[in-house]
Amino acid sequence: MFQTRSQRLLRTIAGWLVVGAFFFPIYFWASVAFRSSKDIFNWPPKIFAFTPNLRNFEEVFGISLGTAPQTISPGGGNFYMAPRLLDSIIIATFSTILAISVATIAAYCLSRMPFRGRHHFVNWVLSTRMMPPVAVAIPMFFIFKQFTLLDTYTGVILIHGLMNLPLAVLLMKSFFDDIPSEIDESALIDGASRWTIFRRIVLPMAKGGIAASAVLCFIFSWTEFLFVLTLTQTGLKTVPVVSSTFVTSIGTAWGNMAALGFAAIIPAFLVVLLVQRHLVRGLTMGSLKQ
Amino acid sequence: MKDQDRKSYLASVTDRYVKGQISRRDFMASATKLGLGAGALGMGLTGRPMGGRAMAQEALTPNPEILAWLKDAAAPFKGTVLKLATEATPPSNALNSQLKKYFEEATGITVEIEILPLEQVLQKLTLDVASNLGTYDLYYIDQSWAASFSRDVFDPREQTADKPDLAMPNWNIDDFLPALVDGISRYEDRLVGVPYDIPVFIMIYRKDIYDKFNLTAPLTMNQLLENSKIITAEMGPEVYGTTGQMKSGHYSLECDWTAWLWGHGGSIFGADGQFTGNDAQGLEAMAYWDQLKATMPPGVDGWTWDGQGQSVAQGVAASMLSWGEFFPYFDDANETKVSGLCEVAVPPAANSLRTVGETGFGEIPGVGHQGGSSLAVSRYSKSPDAAWLFMQWATSADTQALITTLGGGTGPTRASVYDDPRVKANARVGAGTTRHLDVVRETIANHMGSEPDLPEWAQLSSDTIPVGLGKYFAGDYGSAKEALDDIAAQVGEVMKG
Repeated sequence: MFQTRSQRLLRTIAGWLVVGAFFFPIYFWASVAFRSSKDIFNWPPKIFAFTPNLRNFEEVFGISLGTAPQTISPGGGNFYMAPRLLDSIIIATFSTILAISVATIAAYCLSRMPFRGRHHFVNWVLSTRMMPPVAVAIPMFFIFKQFTLLDTYTGVILIHGLMNLPLAVLLMKSFFDDIPSEIDESALIDGASRWTIFRRIVLPMAKGGIAASAVLCFIFSWTEFLFVLTLTQTGLKTVPVVSSTFVTSIGTAWGNMAALGFAAIIPAFLVVLLVQRHLVRGLTMGSLKQ
Repeated sequence: MKDQDRKSYLASVTDRYVKGQISRRDFMASATKLGLGAGALGMGLTGRPMGGRAMAQEALTPNPEILAWLKDAAAPFKGTVLKLATEATPPSNALNSQLKKYFEEATGITVEIEILPLEQVLQKLTLDVASNLGTYDLYYIDQSWAASFSRDVFDPREQTADKPDLAMPNWNIDDFLPALVDGISRYEDRLVGVPYDIPVFIMIYRKDIYDKFNLTAPLTMNQLLENSKIITAEMGPEVYGTTGQMKSGHYSLECDWTAWLWGHGGSIFGADGQFTGNDAQGLEAMAYWDQLKATMPPGVDGWTWDGQGQSVAQGVAASMLSWGEFFPYFDDANETKVSGLCEVAVPPAANSLRTVGETGFGEIPGVGHQGGSSLAVSRYSKSPDAAWLFMQWATSADTQALITTLGGGTGPTRASVYDDPRVKANARVGAGTTRHLDVVRETIANHMGSEPDLPEWAQLSSDTIPVGLGKYFAGDYGSAKEALDDIAAQVGEVMKG
């Protein structure tokens, strides 16, 4: 399509404005992590003209770079959150592995193996996402206490895995549905077992879908708040829950909160980066009908 | 030299050094005589004429005699793990980050402190009480929850009487300020723990701005209004006369309301237990509040105490009647623009004041609105004796003095701590100052107002009343009377259950 020079320019400007609108909050949040309180609350706001410092990061990660007024002692401060970042990584990673492992097999069965009431079964899986988590959190507290799962990695990984399972199953099923069943049938005729077809043929073809589902599971676990708040005490906590501890009786430590938030973006960003190639393919899978 | 004398001498020497009255060489010589190591001498005082903590770290360690007693008393409980869920208050922060290690080393008991926002603490405690599971050994009980949890914790007097071998020598429950025991920890005939922290409303004002217009710290409600009007008229919109914590639906709005209500001779409840915030005095208070709000920054009805404090810290507001806990923060030159510029005074006198007999549910009218919390041992704890030991240590005079100096100048709940030399030594301009504590003590003794104690109060104070007030300031009601009548009706519904 032919476009005049002014149209192209307008399109470029509009594009940059949209990008700016999305990027500005991230920039401002990140810049808060490098500011002192005086610069955070300055009026009129300082967008770029502030003196950056690493004090907030020093306090959050328990490291001493010599910029804080007092020496930072590792693990000593109330805002020392490095272990909590590690908790988040462990929980999000293993709950994603759990959800995707189970969901892949379940979704393949739902996609390929006809059985009575299969359609209702899919609806039933979906319906579990319709219940508000707060209705489940309290009963879960009692169950977890009974099984000594409170305040444990196992407990939180289980609950996050279960939380993400329905979504992962439905997503994966739609990806498997897009792979022609004739391929399975040909392999069956050639003597391959169901397991071999799944492992050797269908799974590699659905890599994009698996990556997309895994990213979503990881992000949902990374940002989940209610279950972690209810089912943990002092043993472990994830980033969203500990972020609320920056709210103190004499105000909110915005700089520290931003430092932790900024640091917490990095692992999630890396996960997306690692699977980016498959992700793009997964997100566009099924967009063209044959 | 006795330990107490040693501390007094050290405090005096340190104070003189911080004020520049003695040289570093003299200070080092004096400190060395006290047996302090080189580490104490490099405590970061050089080149800091105003900021920083004045006390040497060695002086800020727990009394060894108390630790020795704890070691013996806690021998049967070695290996126990105690859990406490608490708000991020200065005492909890100081205990968690700097002090609990001394208790743990002495006793072999591990203390896990979970620091959460206040509403999450309530959720955790409610779940623990409802389940009787004893997941927490110690409860941090905000004063507005005292009635709700009164039967779920041990009365410390019973613990002292029942377990004399675990009673800490000189713990002295009578040392807690009586007004705080009544206002925070007493419900009917029971003590719901002991007072743990005490944020209380005091008058904080910018001395430089007040001097500029020849104003003095307000002694009356009208003077506060007039001062605020003058400053707003002369310096607005850059600087406003006063500020508030008026976020709709938030507990902070209820706190502000009570100060003006009590200050105009009103009360939340009458002696018959009926809501009286909508009577003539209540309406007078609202009319005053409306005028005062006109002298505040425009964003005030979106702020809790966080925004209110920041408005003073960043130089946008010239005064506030609010939590004294903020004052040490204002003095921190690294964090605020007003370090050394603020002064404190007791709250303005009330126009008239109801007596306790004229109110309901133990409500105590007074312009100095009192917040605060108690620390108590849970009845469902699996290790109540170990928890009792920790509670005594955490609320002892020695530990409170350390909390006050290390925790940023928070107000102590014990009378003796206000006179502790370590606390006195920090009464200078700088981060964590204690130079406001005389005013805090005076406010607690003579100007303090305390909310009523009833099981429904948590809901009324954090939902029913601030939502109604928020709607009034948002213009949802035709008049203050209409708003307060509606609040009265809703309070009645809640009280009926």
